[in-house]
Amino acid sequence: MTTTGSAPRVNPVYRGRSGQWAFVGHRVSGMLVFLFLLLHIVDVSLINISTELYDEVHALYGNVVLRLFEVGLLFALLFHSFNGIRIVMVDVFPGAVRRERRLLSAVVFLTLAAGIPGGYVIMKPFIDGTLLG
Amino acid sequence: MTSTPSTDERRLAVAGGAPARARRPRQNFETWSWFFMRVSGLVLVFLALVHFALTHIINDVVETDAAFVAERWDNPLWRLFDWSLLALALFHGLNGVRWSIDDYVRSPAWRAGVKAVVYTGSGILFAYGTFTIVTFA
Repeated sequence: MTTTGSAPRVNPVYRGRSGQWAFVGHRVSGMLVFLFLLLHIVDVSLINISTELYDEVHALYGNVVLRLFEVGLLFALLFHSFNGIRIVMVDVFPGAVRRERRLLSAVVFLTLAAGIPGGYVIMKPFIDGTLLG
Repeated sequence: MTSTPSTDERRLAVAGGAPARARRPRQNFETWSWFFMRVSGLVLVFLALVHFALTHIINDVVETDAAFVAERWDNPLWRLFDWSLLALALFHGLNGVRWSIDDYVRSPAWRAGVKAVVYTGSGILFAYGTFTIVTFA
């Protein structure tokens, strides 16, 4: 590949159906978790500047908007984890490719099965009405 | 070799170059990058989910204040746990971003520029996060 200037444009949609959606979901969830990680480095590092400042900023994570954001983070983490395991299985076990769609169903099922109760726990202070703010 | 490979080209690289040509896989940078993603990913499933469960499910997020952090970081093994999570997640994420940039940013000049910004920003934050975990007293 010795191209000068822009590389040739290719249609990014390869009509991979469920596999394509898994790819999109993996990229989007990965990007969201990565961006959160960068933010999280900054907010945790406030602890070295002053513990009061850390507590003040950290208290924000308890409000309802950021709790919803944390539920989203949980779903992104779960999907990316289970789909990542699916990718490793497809790479390692030849039989996994043939059962690729069933594996993706398992990924979605596990994400929901862990995400819904987890999300409920995160939102519980709001649901119970004990959340301030 | 002026342009960076796209995802398809990387898959070929992982498969060992052009199928007709190379019988023995070439262990180039992209091969190791693929391998690193698989290994770090599997370790991160454990590290990230345990970390999330501890700070959002087992303990409510409002309980994870400075005193909570101080108590955990009193144990060097938790510092090691958190630093491993930081390092693996950051480089796993950064490599994913690198793949995405190669897929979507087609102009070589823009590609180099975007990568310079992303690598610099991530590098600074990795150093800052490491500094925080190591020096907290």
